[in-house]
Amino acid sequence: MQVDLPYELKLIATLSGHEDRAWHLAWNPTKPLLASCSGDRSVRLYSYSPSALDFRLAASIPTGHTKSVRAVAWAPSGKTLVTASFDANIGVWEREEDDEDGAGEWECLTLLEGHETECKSVAYSSTGTLLASCSRDKSVWVWEVQPDADFECLGVMMEHTQDVKCVAWHPTEELLASASYDDTIRFYIDDPSDDWYCAATIQAHESTVWSLAWSPDGRFLASASDDKTVKIWKRTGQFQFKEVLVLTGHERAVFSLAWGKGKGGARSLGWLASTGSDGIIFVRELQEAEDTVTERLLTKVHDAHGVHDINTVAWCPTTGLEDILGSAGDDGNCKIWRIEPTGV
Amino acid sequence: MAFSGALTLTDLNDYLGPSQACIKPVEQSNPSSKEEKGAASTAIQVDLNGAYYEVSNDGLAASKSTHGPRKLEQAQINLNDCLACSGCITSAESVLITLQSHVEVLNVLDRIATTSDLCDDRQVPVISIAPQSLASLATALSTRTKRPVSLLQVMRRVQAFFKEKLGVTRVYDTTFSREVALREHVKEFFERKEASTASDSRLPMLASACPGWICYAEKAHAEMLPFISNTKSPQQTMGTLVKSWMGSQWGKLPNQIYHVSIMPCYDKKLEASRSDFYNELYSSRDVDCVITTGELDQMMVERCWDISQPIPDELVPLRDESVPQLPELIQHTGSSSGSYMHSIMASLAATCASPIRNADYEEWVLRKDTPEGDVLFKGAKCYGFRNLQNVVRKVGKGKGLRGVGAAGRLPGRAVARRKAGQTEERNYDYVEVMACPGGCVNGGGQLKSALVEKENDQEGFTRDWNESGVDLQQEVRWGNKEWTRRVEETYWEGTILPVQHEAHVAWKPAVAQGGNREKVDEMVQRISSALTRDGKANPLRTEYHTVESEEIGLAVRW
Repeated sequence: MQVDLPYELKLIATLSGHEDRAWHLAWNPTKPLLASCSGDRSVRLYSYSPSALDFRLAASIPTGHTKSVRAVAWAPSGKTLVTASFDANIGVWEREEDDEDGAGEWECLTLLEGHETECKSVAYSSTGTLLASCSRDKSVWVWEVQPDADFECLGVMMEHTQDVKCVAWHPTEELLASASYDDTIRFYIDDPSDDWYCAATIQAHESTVWSLAWSPDGRFLASASDDKTVKIWKRTGQFQFKEVLVLTGHERAVFSLAWGKGKGGARSLGWLASTGSDGIIFVRELQEAEDTVTERLLTKVHDAHGVHDINTVAWCPTTGLEDILGSAGDDGNCKIWRIEPTGV
Repeated sequence: MAFSGALTLTDLNDYLGPSQACIKPVEQSNPSSKEEKGAASTAIQVDLNGAYYEVSNDGLAASKSTHGPRKLEQAQINLNDCLACSGCITSAESVLITLQSHVEVLNVLDRIATTSDLCDDRQVPVISIAPQSLASLATALSTRTKRPVSLLQVMRRVQAFFKEKLGVTRVYDTTFSREVALREHVKEFFERKEASTASDSRLPMLASACPGWICYAEKAHAEMLPFISNTKSPQQTMGTLVKSWMGSQWGKLPNQIYHVSIMPCYDKKLEASRSDFYNELYSSRDVDCVITTGELDQMMVERCWDISQPIPDELVPLRDESVPQLPELIQHTGSSSGSYMHSIMASLAATCASPIRNADYEEWVLRKDTPEGDVLFKGAKCYGFRNLQNVVRKVGKGKGLRGVGAAGRLPGRAVARRKAGQTEERNYDYVEVMACPGGCVNGGGQLKSALVEKENDQEGFTRDWNESGVDLQQEVRWGNKEWTRRVEETYWEGTILPVQHEAHVAWKPAVAQGGNREKVDEMVQRISSALTRDGKANPLRTEYHTVESEEIGLAVRW
């Protein structure tokens, strides 16, 4: 590891237990709870104390999905968990309420069917009223969350010409972005008099776009690609995006991005973590400079999951814990890291 | 080639190659002998010509073997295997659609035209054209020539084209067959309603005219099939009329008639190819070939026929007594996709309310005209893929059904608890389902909008968006919506408007208009008694079949 970097990634915990690769993880936005999912079709939930960061298995849900659970996402309320599976379905989960201590079991309230093939990603909008999903069937779906675990399909967008890898909602607006094997990023909004529709497309990368992450202030979007780069796009109009920075350094496909507030100064755009097939985790601080964005490499770690690919990185959203990062890898483990100034 | 929306979703021509995905089991022609109990006693060898041989692995077995190396046959897959499978929809259905092209139609019609009248094999060509296709052509003509052109005028010009250029004199629109289909549809609805019990309702009945919807339901929602109306679509009803009824009047067997239909929709080609509409006795399909509105347009261009030119007497009824006639251009009030729900509602006298969810999803409730206002009927008109999803969810939920591909545990106790606390919402009695947003006037085979380039510059979007790598799809979208609206308007010809969507209006049972009603009644009577005489299965009904989805995990890469 390079010694001249200002920060280092310190491993806090290794959460083992999945019997197949760990695909994805999601931090609960309101409670100290972390969810991970795997090729073993289960979801594992870990609770922790925010001060001690002592991760304990709280529940393991054998989801009943017939194939890998590829992604998990929490509703902004922190009550509902959704699972996206290669069996083409999306599960909606809540904890039984009959036990106040929270010992109730996690139950599948409803199954969203409609995708024809592997579902790759799910995401709740910032207000929690909308759910988006995408699939290898090239479609992006928007669902309205209704009372009593009911969902109404508001839109099925079939503009992508290939497998859709990721969906990401704008942090405050009802603007959805999707990334695909067709190398593009597409943007969708609701036409109040009509349906959801694809409003813009960016020919973003030279290969598959694997992951998207909006900046915490919503003014920028980061995209990660099979072409080994991460690009930063500045939003210059409602659907206008301008490429302002290309981040290199990854040696293979970049699978996942996470853009958190970080613990930088007021002028910081936050911390961007990236990882992928090369097993490296990069953490960079991004800053705005006039018409462009500059990067400062905070730290990187090689072989973060040994020789294995890393599928996901995710920042802890809790105030005070902005320097805590989770990662999920093909070794079946989830790892929790703290970004610390070097030599502390 | 463009497919309609419903087909596109299943059209997975991505990196999962069809050959990789093909799941047809290879048939073993010679039964395996008892000695082969021990596994892996044989190996496969490839010779210089690339042929595969199965050879024995261990010396003992080899010495017993009387055949030596056995040449292995190549697996063969034909179109029927493909159509019976959902493994790789792309190739099979593309091939099928290519076989049903306007080039094919021209070839056959030319061949018929050059065959002598005296030749026994000479087929009688018959053309059926959907009113939505006429509306599409009429809208394009009106826009191009800046003068309104009616459906009747277009019909006359199309008839003249087929007569003068291809020698076809029997060209009909499908509104009469739709009349027959609608009556059968209503009859079936009441049969289902009467057969329903409190615990086992056979409602809702779901419309069956849209082949995109049928294709999708058979592949993805087998649990919906029992609710889909068994009444044939107007296209297939026309097929039955032409081949069974008209043919018998002309003294022609089904295979002595070549029946082409012109439809607003590519998926109608799939419908026509269903084995349910194939007559094995005569090796004949009820509709031999389907072409789209766009293909008809192309056909006329290729044969140098200018459909914008008026022809003599195009506004008077056809009086060519040498050719058998059907009632023409009957309008059915309700929806431009065939008025299926309204034809059922028209048989119920009631007060009506119609809460609209969006342009392609209308709910209709008919109440008894009494102070209590009991609900007599609840129906919905649901167009487009995403509304279709919600109908499937809603109907499935109401019936306690789950999809075929459904995984996992059943919704748990929490759901049961919530359900117990709810007052039950009345389920639909009928849903008019169409796969295309806007319905059949916006079918995938219709002429493309002539408005896109010209009329949408005023939207005020700056051009430099393209330069920053962003392309805008709105203009095309708005152009297409306006175009669909115009085709819809043309379809109704300003005479009968689609039913107004005001809440709580008195519902006036609508009747079909146009044609001579008594004559139509009398004809339909005659047809049904002629068709059902021989006591066989009702020729106006059909069936649906689950298409099992199978997958092999090994070949799939992500």
